[in-house]
Amino acid sequence: MKILVPIKRVPDPATTIRVLPDGSGIATDNVKWVINPFDEIAIEEALRIKEKQGGEVVLITIGQSTWQEQLRTGLAMGADRAILIKNDAALDSLALARILAKVIGDENPELVLLGKQAIDDDSNQVGQMLAEMLGWPQATFASKVEFADKKVTVTREVDGGLETIAFNLPAVVTTDLRLNEPRYASLPGIMKARKKELKEIPADSLGVDLAPKLKIKTLAAPPKRQAGRKVGSVQELVQVLHTEAKVI
Amino acid sequence: MVDFQLTEEQQMIRDTIGAFAKDEIRPAARPADESCAAPDELIQKIWELGLVRGPIPEEYGGDGGERSAVTGAVVAEEMAYGDLSIALHSLAPRLFAYPLLEMGTEDQKKTHLSRFTGPKFAAGTAAIIEPRWDFDLTELATTATRDGNSFVISGTKCCVPLAEESDAILVYARSGGAGGFGGVDAFIVPRDCGGLKIGDREKNMGLRGLATYEVLFEKCKVGSDARVGADKGIDFSRLMSEGRVAFAAMAVGVMRAAFDYARDYAKERRAFGVPIATKQAVAFMLADMAIEIDAARLLIWEAASRLDKGGDALRESYLAKNYAAASALKVADNAVQVLGGHGYIREHPVEMWLRNARAFASLDGIATV
Repeated sequence: MKILVPIKRVPDPATTIRVLPDGSGIATDNVKWVINPFDEIAIEEALRIKEKQGGEVVLITIGQSTWQEQLRTGLAMGADRAILIKNDAALDSLALARILAKVIGDENPELVLLGKQAIDDDSNQVGQMLAEMLGWPQATFASKVEFADKKVTVTREVDGGLETIAFNLPAVVTTDLRLNEPRYASLPGIMKARKKELKEIPADSLGVDLAPKLKIKTLAAPPKRQAGRKVGSVQELVQVLHTEAKVI
Repeated sequence: MVDFQLTEEQQMIRDTIGAFAKDEIRPAARPADESCAAPDELIQKIWELGLVRGPIPEEYGGDGGERSAVTGAVVAEEMAYGDLSIALHSLAPRLFAYPLLEMGTEDQKKTHLSRFTGPKFAAGTAAIIEPRWDFDLTELATTATRDGNSFVISGTKCCVPLAEESDAILVYARSGGAGGFGGVDAFIVPRDCGGLKIGDREKNMGLRGLATYEVLFEKCKVGSDARVGADKGIDFSRLMSEGRVAFAAMAVGVMRAAFDYARDYAKERRAFGVPIATKQAVAFMLADMAIEIDAARLLIWEAASRLDKGGDALRESYLAKNYAAASALKVADNAVQVLGGHGYIREHPVEMWLRNARAFASLDGIATV
């Protein structure tokens, strides 16, 4: 099965994020960049499907030349080839979905697997928009993906429990945290990654409307937490929760 | 002319092995120290990273990756950052495989290398160190005497990792009249060779998770095809340089582990209302530790880069190893000091790293990577 896995480059979850003084973005010096963890889960799942059924795993990302690093990491994990849609400016979810839909038209994968959201802006939109544009079935927040013939069964993590849905390929599936535990790239895998195909396509050559519909006006760090304090009695606690915290 | 930038590939190796070491190896370090054994499942998981088979050419079943001392140093540092015992255990097969890979005959490579390219961990080892007060790499007391078409090996070795579970041991012995590195040869001695005796497991101060043994060779007779490189022999000086570079890189890994732990502790631990890291007495100590780490790494990388260019690095590798061994002890000791009383108790890993760090000055030639 041919599987396309769109990935995004994000700051390492362990990085301490600092907002720039003017609120225009985050300070990127000394930030370690990694594959969005949910996308890494998508790569792992794609590789497992390929190992069982055969096929091809193609990675795609949309960003600057430096994003190649994350594609190479995915290739080192075992993906077959990669595509970098080169675009220097940050794009909103809609533009990303449009680009992906266009590339998918050329690549014809049977399955698109991607993270449910990126851990930087947590938009959680690209998978859904993409499925809509393609007119394909979608399963979001997958915690289990199973195949029988051309049918896919996906277990989804929803509020209050699990939901199991079945649909036909081609389809878009977005991955949740508990789907799998991504593998470490092996030394031979890393060495082979260098020789795998990594194609660069300029975003503006695709003829897709990239105009932003969404603008980030400002970023701000969360307010600093106040230190806790001890109260003398239950009565006082209730009083404080009511008048100060305003939660009851 | 001077470039300290790792290639993109080396950076990826560093990041991947580093993440593995932090998430998988480190949690196993203390249990391995306490139980004196590295967990089989973890050793197998490390094996699957392909650290041994990676540079073995495809014709012998490996992956045909480039073999580089700099990459080797990067791997060794990251692995030892996780745990030194487990790093030495999982890389021990290189002690046997890589001298063959680099200096063995075609037949020797064909016969022996495939053992290290399978899906399951295969132990391998080399016997270098001797239990003598005047042990000297250039004056080995273990001898190999030619007897017609065979060699007879006699002597005693110690600190041989995984001797008990390895199918064959690579034994370094004095074979010719020449002194210095030139008179040393390496021999492939099968585990079941008559006269080979493996002693009790050694009880060491550190490296408790690593099984090491004394090995006795009492007139062990091996065919002349057991001599690595046949009549050409080996370049012992180069092998020792490679080993020292790798071992020194492991020292940097241990130092970094100790430094990171002490730094984080100093930022958390408060005294007189402030984190102790803000006190100059502690801050200076941490800064000195960081300097030692970078200095040692630069010496190692210089030696490694010379080796990669095919040059001689006897001097550079010796300086690097020596410096790293001294620094490791200093840095690990400082880490214990930064933690104060907590440094001395086994709840924290720094006392274990101090014991492990002592190995670098005591053992030479345990790691040829």
